[in-house]
Amino acid sequence: MSEEKNVVSRRSVLKGAAIGGAALAAGGALSTESASAATRLKGSTVKWTTRGGGATGDKIAKAVNDAFTKKTGAKVVAQQVNSDDFQNNFAQIMQGSPDDAFGWMAGYRSNHFGEMGLLEDLTREIGRLKGSLPTAAIKGATSPVSKKPYIIPTTYYPWGLHYRKSMVKDIGMNPEKINDWDDFVKLMTLTQKKGLVGYSLGAKGGWEAMGTFDILNARINGYKYHIDLLNGRAKWTDARTKETFKYFAQLIPFMNENVMDISWDGMRDLLLQKKTGAMMMGSWFANDFKAKSQADYDDLWVVPFPEINPKFGVDTIDAPLDGISVAKNGKNVTGGKALAEFWASPEGITEAVKAGDTNIYVSKSFDTSGYDAFNKQKLAVLASAKNIMFFLDRDARGDFAGPVVGPAIQSFIKKPSDINKILENTQAQWEALPKN
Amino acid sequence: MKTAATVKKNRSRRSLSKTDRFTLATFVGIPTLLQIILLWVPAVVTIILSFTYWNGIRLKDIQWAGIQNYKNIFFDNPLFYQALKNNAIWLAFFVLIATPLGILLAYQIDRGIKGHAFFESIYYLPVVLSLAVIGIIWNFMLQPGGFVQGLMGRDIGNAISIWGNPKINTWVILGIASWRHIGYIMLLYLSGLKSVDPALKEAAAIDGATDWQIFRKIILPTMQPVNIIIVVITLIESLRAFDLVYIIYGSPTIFPLLNLLVFQNFAGQGISMKGAAYAVILLLLCIVPIITYLRISFKEDLK
Repeated sequence: MSEEKNVVSRRSVLKGAAIGGAALAAGGALSTESASAATRLKGSTVKWTTRGGGATGDKIAKAVNDAFTKKTGAKVVAQQVNSDDFQNNFAQIMQGSPDDAFGWMAGYRSNHFGEMGLLEDLTREIGRLKGSLPTAAIKGATSPVSKKPYIIPTTYYPWGLHYRKSMVKDIGMNPEKINDWDDFVKLMTLTQKKGLVGYSLGAKGGWEAMGTFDILNARINGYKYHIDLLNGRAKWTDARTKETFKYFAQLIPFMNENVMDISWDGMRDLLLQKKTGAMMMGSWFANDFKAKSQADYDDLWVVPFPEINPKFGVDTIDAPLDGISVAKNGKNVTGGKALAEFWASPEGITEAVKAGDTNIYVSKSFDTSGYDAFNKQKLAVLASAKNIMFFLDRDARGDFAGPVVGPAIQSFIKKPSDINKILENTQAQWEALPKN
Repeated sequence: MKTAATVKKNRSRRSLSKTDRFTLATFVGIPTLLQIILLWVPAVVTIILSFTYWNGIRLKDIQWAGIQNYKNIFFDNPLFYQALKNNAIWLAFFVLIATPLGILLAYQIDRGIKGHAFFESIYYLPVVLSLAVIGIIWNFMLQPGGFVQGLMGRDIGNAISIWGNPKINTWVILGIASWRHIGYIMLLYLSGLKSVDPALKEAAAIDGATDWQIFRKIILPTMQPVNIIIVVITLIESLRAFDLVYIIYGSPTIFPLLNLLVFQNFAGQGISMKGAAYAVILLLLCIVPIITYLRISFKEDLK
């Protein structure tokens, strides 16, 4: 995706937006919309849902929505919901009287509900944003089944191997050079020798360890095999899947003994308190390091998970893509679509960033020149991969990832010697799923 | 007493006025209707859905699955047997330990041991808390980085594994659940004991009966109606256990219970009618022993 992040075009779009002001904005939301739609929009009310984010989330939403109101004359009523609750009740909410537009997740979670007729097809809106959206992001937001996008991609974040530079230096290694499996094992071994946790992992929530499985499988068997496996085109009982778990088993002796007791925040705390050598995690937690102290934040580093099979190198990454979706059952679908488009447009992004949004936007208009070292490194980690996975529970169907794969990985960590039986069960449960 | 009741029943049936009939119809009819609409219809629909494949969104996507959901649960899903085992242990623990302890406490307090009011309030305290709140409290104390772990000088890196440790988590959870259950049973039993005529106990004591004999031969039989309630409550509480564990774990997979599996497969993102099948299994497990027990008890009563 790196070649598409053209600095020149990004700046020029920004400049255009700035000079042209609201009415002129080059890639703006309504320039190609018919006049009647614009009139319909004026004076109407659009409802917006922010998924979590606390006070900052509200502030960002207000900034973007106010700019939208200023531009279109449509009023926006926003609310913030608990992210997990919204996610867990998504089907019910969408069948009731949902807000018109909301932040949502790409992958199975939007494709499935789009195909079920709960989310709007956003092909036209994405078509108008083509100038600023990279093709890879558009592809990621498009359902492979219906070939339609039900989400406009906005932000993403990398899953990488996180560690503290000072700790790596302490054990006599070079923090800039954790490249292959041997470096990685050496890092874990030396950390463990100091009486610390070599590799921190939590599995209490059932999903945290999926990150480790994803990346091991992609490193050993490649992106295609991994996605095939999650979609039933490869078998869990395949020798290649077993090979992945062989590597996974090698990590277990380095792990904290309370893997089943901690969740992602426990993993974060281990690193925050300098108690672990490395952990595999999405980079979203970095703000918590900053909140503790600038020194902690400066010490934090992320690299792509090390290469295992030279055939695949580090060509794949878990980088969940988020975006904006529009509810089919919303009261103001036209308004919802316009608002969604605005959020993903260069203007909307500028507003969000100004209001304190630290997310990495996929948009080519997104200006990263002011980035600190850690954020630049996040971009580098993203750029190192050519295949983007969305994380297991977004790449696989919902009635399989959570209820089947999560528990399977937990059982494996509890008793690695049971792996053959666990994989047979997993495969049997895949085959028992209804075909739809 | 039996004859008095029958006489009364016959009399009231004879003298039903129009207003009486209307009142009766309203007071019985409306709750029955609500019960049917809110409980029986969904229950029957759930039973039917358990034989289908459906993701809970569009009616037209419902496909007939036969017994596939059940087959999958019984033959391919290790979580089901873990849940069954956990529920069975829960039940056994409540029946053999927690409930008898509650009865014992009630009996001791009723005898008016020194400071009984103090003990009563201590044991009763957890009952006013919902299991969800109890879950939050104990999770706060026992999780890695929690209060108790901190007191023992253990931080998150070397915290003792409690929730995730299959050797002890069952007993810790049952201990916490009993903490509340014992007080609940104690309270129920205590209110029953208050209504036992003290003359009966005195008479037995004068005849030279021991404490244990008095309890077994006098108290227990006179308390029959309360006993029935307690047995039913113990059964239901053990089988429907959910909130405590859900609050502690957030997901059903480390300490599975049948109700957690219903929830996981029926709500949230993984909706499938396996959830309905789990619900039916749970319904049968609850209803069959309870109905059997009630029938036996009421038959004995009629004798």
